[in-house]
Amino acid sequence: MLILAGLLAGLGLLFIGLKLMSVHLQQAMGRRVRTMLKAATRSSFSGFFCGAFAGAAAQSSNAVTLIAGNLVRGGVFTTRDAIPVVAGANVGTSALVFVASIDMHLAVLLLIALVGITYQLRLDRRPSWRDWMGVTLGLALLFLGLDFIKSAPKGIDVAHAAEAFSNGLTPLLGLALGFVAAVITQSASTATILAVAATKARLLGLEDAFYLILGANFGSGIATLVTAGGLVGIGKQLCFVHILVKGVGCVIVFALWEGANLAGWDSAAILTSLGGGEPTLSISLLFLALQVSGGLPVTVLRGLTERISVALSPASVEDRVSRPHFIHDAAIGDPSTALDLAAHETDRLVSLLPDLLPDLDQRSTGAAKERTVLWHGSTAIVAATGQFVVRVIERRVGREDLDLALHLQEQLDLVKFLQDTLHDFSQVVEEFKDLPPLAFNLSEALRTIVLSLVDARGGSSEDFDILIGLTSDRSELLDRIRRALAGSTLNSGEEARKLLLATSMFERAVWLVRRLAVTLRPDANDDKPATALNKANLEEAHAD
Amino acid sequence: MQIEREQAGEDVLLKVAGRLDTPNAKPFEASLLDVVNTTTGGIVVDLAGVVYVSSSGLRALLVAGKAMRTAKRKLSLKSLQPQIREVFDISGFSTLFEIS
Repeated sequence: MLILAGLLAGLGLLFIGLKLMSVHLQQAMGRRVRTMLKAATRSSFSGFFCGAFAGAAAQSSNAVTLIAGNLVRGGVFTTRDAIPVVAGANVGTSALVFVASIDMHLAVLLLIALVGITYQLRLDRRPSWRDWMGVTLGLALLFLGLDFIKSAPKGIDVAHAAEAFSNGLTPLLGLALGFVAAVITQSASTATILAVAATKARLLGLEDAFYLILGANFGSGIATLVTAGGLVGIGKQLCFVHILVKGVGCVIVFALWEGANLAGWDSAAILTSLGGGEPTLSISLLFLALQVSGGLPVTVLRGLTERISVALSPASVEDRVSRPHFIHDAAIGDPSTALDLAAHETDRLVSLLPDLLPDLDQRSTGAAKERTVLWHGSTAIVAATGQFVVRVIERRVGREDLDLALHLQEQLDLVKFLQDTLHDFSQVVEEFKDLPPLAFNLSEALRTIVLSLVDARGGSSEDFDILIGLTSDRSELLDRIRRALAGSTLNSGEEARKLLLATSMFERAVWLVRRLAVTLRPDANDDKPATALNKANLEEAHAD
Repeated sequence: MQIEREQAGEDVLLKVAGRLDTPNAKPFEASLLDVVNTTTGGIVVDLAGVVYVSSSGLRALLVAGKAMRTAKRKLSLKSLQPQIREVFDISGFSTLFEIS
């Protein structure tokens, strides 16, 4: 019982240590991790080493894969760029297995002493120190956990247990055990560390450990799919890259192992000699070989890897609609070009606005779901474009560019409010089983107004004047409708309540279209967009 | 959808009946633009026979309205049924066109 408790305590400390390291590293590094990963993906070589560093620091290739997957989904870099990062992360996780194979007892004691003394000296009061002390504490607990795991099997009746294992651990059972252990712990290295401890205590032979680690290696690839959960489309592609790294590594190492045996050599003996007679070092080398032999081909053939991952997880509708078409980071160095691109992006977002409303002439099944996906995607692009403009403003831009940037920010705010209002309005309209005539009229009228906004883009100031006239104050009419609805008993008042809601949203949407039309209206004299600070406000004040 | 064309002095009277929906919007717009381009007077669209107007139908009227505005000519509407009148009021079209 004490042995099992020691083993579980070791695993517990290992997991707490990994969690502490991950949380504090994230806080200590902040946006630098994102910047570092982004910079690293400029070449396969730097991407691979950056991934290896991230994998060694996080001690989880799954975590690095999921972070990179989310960055790909967010458009920071592409799946192709991130392939070397994932491959490198797997190699990086080997560090923990090597650490587990050496005696860390002294290092554990010293690290805990160091952390304790720094806390006693209240150095954690400094924000810059606090997170790094958290990282050190995490490292100390991780090492302590490894120490517990390695010590636990020492109390076992080795001869008896070894006999039990030698009778029962067939290659297939070894593969299955490793696979299950990795899926449960979400980590090939943890399962391998357990194998290191068992081998050190002579509970397992090197050949038994080989199949166990092979299973664990592939299992941790599959575990990424479990962890990925809700990720779909582009975000999930790196999970398949991770499985490819693990799968290719397993196939190559297994082929070498069996090939050597078929050629009359003893694979286990070769591995033992490579480890200098130290089984734990042999296992660490085996784990490293699995990661390198999987990671290198996947990186070198990253075009093929990308094609396979895209085929297994094609871009979802949301991926397609949530990716900016014009803005890209490389343009930020040239503010004028960057703002032109942001203006094009904003223009494209305006062109998508009618698709957020139902077309009551052509109602089709699934259209509501597609509109929700489009709403999610286009609001994400508004946010990305807004951040892009802020980053341009952060550079020292001239007065003219600053005016344009502020103008774009105002337009993006209006587009965002309009997207949300149109989405909410559509949802209310779709709630009706039998559409009342007023709901139909409100919906079709709003669609006409939004389509007119889209048509007016790039047109003359007169086109916008017509639109501004079309969106003029109609509060008297809408108040009359509201009063009629308030006295209505349509469907016990529920239908009247929904119609009142739709009427209010309609009014808000029309007001937002008007505001947007005013900011988009070209100057009648030079056909340039009015600036946010003068023309628009003047027009608005005048019109209202 | 049916469209009848009559000459009323210098103006052209278009009598429309049926549904102004997506399938009919393009032919309706084409008929209106044909009158805009081949005549010089005003256009009166009689919508007494129209039982349904969607955003596509409204848009066709707006396109013709813009063309007439550019040509400094008048496009007016008449005899709208109450249900059709409501969509014109809500969409703001009543402020763009003279309605009798």
